[in-house]
Amino acid sequence: MQELLGRISRLDPSASLGLRVIACFDELVVGNVNTRALLAAAASLAGCVAGFQQDDPERSLRVGPKGQLEVGGGAVPQDGAEAPVTVPASEGIVVWLERTGPSLPNDEIILERLALAVRIRHGRGRDQDNRRDLGILLDPAVDEGERAISSAALGLAAGRPYRIVAAPLFAVWERHPQAPEDVVPTVFGPLHALVLPADHPVPEATPCGVGAAALPAHLDHSFRTAVVALRLCDPATAPRVSADDFGGLVSLLADMPPGSPQPDADRIDTLRDHGWVAPTVDAVVRSSSLRHAARLADVHHSTMQARVDVLSEALGFDPYDGLGRARLGVAYLTCRLRSSRVLDLPAPQV
Amino acid sequence: MPTTGRPEFDAELRAGLAVVGGMFPPTITPGLIDFMRVSYASAPVDELLRERGIGRRDNVVPGHRGDPVEVSVLTPPGRAPDRPGVVYAHSGGLMFGDRFSGIDLVLDWVDQLGVVLVTVEYRLAPEHRDPVAREDMYGALVWTAEHAAEIGVRPDRLLVAGASAGGGLAAGLALAARDRGGPVLRGQVLDYPMLDDRGGRPSTGQFDGVGVWDRVSNETGWGALLGEARGGESVSCYAAPSRATDLAGLPPAFIDVGAAEIFRDEAIAYADAIWRAGGDAELHVWSGAFHACDIFAPHTAVGQSMIHARNAWVAKICAD
Repeated sequence: MQELLGRISRLDPSASLGLRVIACFDELVVGNVNTRALLAAAASLAGCVAGFQQDDPERSLRVGPKGQLEVGGGAVPQDGAEAPVTVPASEGIVVWLERTGPSLPNDEIILERLALAVRIRHGRGRDQDNRRDLGILLDPAVDEGERAISSAALGLAAGRPYRIVAAPLFAVWERHPQAPEDVVPTVFGPLHALVLPADHPVPEATPCGVGAAALPAHLDHSFRTAVVALRLCDPATAPRVSADDFGGLVSLLADMPPGSPQPDADRIDTLRDHGWVAPTVDAVVRSSSLRHAARLADVHHSTMQARVDVLSEALGFDPYDGLGRARLGVAYLTCRLRSSRVLDLPAPQV
Repeated sequence: MPTTGRPEFDAELRAGLAVVGGMFPPTITPGLIDFMRVSYASAPVDELLRERGIGRRDNVVPGHRGDPVEVSVLTPPGRAPDRPGVVYAHSGGLMFGDRFSGIDLVLDWVDQLGVVLVTVEYRLAPEHRDPVAREDMYGALVWTAEHAAEIGVRPDRLLVAGASAGGGLAAGLALAARDRGGPVLRGQVLDYPMLDDRGGRPSTGQFDGVGVWDRVSNETGWGALLGEARGGESVSCYAAPSRATDLAGLPPAFIDVGAAEIFRDEAIAYADAIWRAGGDAELHVWSGAFHACDIFAPHTAVGQSMIHARNAWVAKICAD
């Protein structure tokens, strides 16, 4: 994988390889893989042998970059060889990389992540929260005091509003703002999260979702709205989406339990086979009248009328009556989230 | 839209995807072909060959309609007149990659099993449509058989092998060699082969947007090769071997595929069709494996198992 990392940075010199290393070890920790697998990943990422030694019971393991077990050796150097720098993973456990020659830029992060993953695998990290500060800050299940400590550790001012920006690991950054950032696990897989001051311009990343502004104590909510905004992105038409564009709607969607019943959205889904449904619904929710909607969708108003009739029939309500457009708006966004493919987006062209 | 379930990726491989995804996106549309030609181009190979004591000689051989096609003949250290020979088709979805893409894995056969490997720079789609790639490969196979003595290959120890798109080409070569009375083959190694332009099997649509090589990528690849003919009546079984109705009389086949990739069902069906025809096939379906995971993540337990099983089969078939 060292070779693949090299390819990635040649394709995109601004790519953060450290984040990929972090995401890689996050998956290994979630997957609860064994010590050999952890060492193999570290060795593969580094392109040199990775080692492990435990005092009690005595055990050592060395794995090469192709996953091959290396015979013999421990932290004690072979004749003539220089002793590798060992890093404590836990009491009585050390890990190391057998780099000959000068160390490479990713060595430090690889070793740090390896040590943490080994500690957790060996059951010594379970009683402490090994998540990094940003992960704690964005987790509503963590109590407020602990989140405040993480917020301070990240250098955030308690009385100042910020926004979370969420992006997939494959996002392309035209310019990468200097800000606290990390890879944070979500139900949609690991996402790249950044904390920006609320008045910071939208970062030039594709795709990315910008969350609602919030004080540090409520950045967990900002993160959830950022993820919804990200999932509303469309590579072709809307590479960057801000939660603010949808006001309270995105906040509602962000806090809706997954899989909660959405009969209006189900009804729109039954019409999916009609190509006109998405543009029609989009025009209706953005318009004040049927004629206005027809202009937005660039169709004759009688065509729009016929389509809205089909829509009203399927929905069981008239979108231009009472709360109709609000209902349609929520249902429409729900449908877009259900069919969102933005997190599967391929890497862009060079 | 409700999605049907799909087998999970193995945890080590999922971790690998955090890196792989940066250079090999899951969904390859025609607009990404140029990107893939850069990202999937092989790294310089000569130092690697030198380290492993492998010799390299490049030759130009007659391909489709006699056009010049470059091949590299890779030879193990030391001299021996009678070695097994493998004609190899590289991966890359028929649209990208070169004859050294993913070569690491087959180099094991050269320096560990004493194989002479002929790896072929077949021409790529969409610039070159069917039958160019497969006829370039066939030309290289015939050349290898005719020059066996010169390159130190035993004519009765000749195999074809390929990975992914190359696996499909290798399967097509075995069919064509049988039907045209071409070189007698001792075996065919089909790694997660791309066999069927028609799609449509359950596994084809099970991995949209995840892993390596999804349904859309596959449509892009077959579309590049076949154009409008993709999925129609006129496609040759030498291009899309799943279309072959007669699988009798083929050389022993080694087929491996991931349980978590779109080619799962067509690979299983191909092995099954060989067995039904009374042939010899060894099929490995690797749990949790995404497409070509042994190329991208050879350090993982699944990758190691795949490599080990394949190399053991090749050793059984052709080592003296």
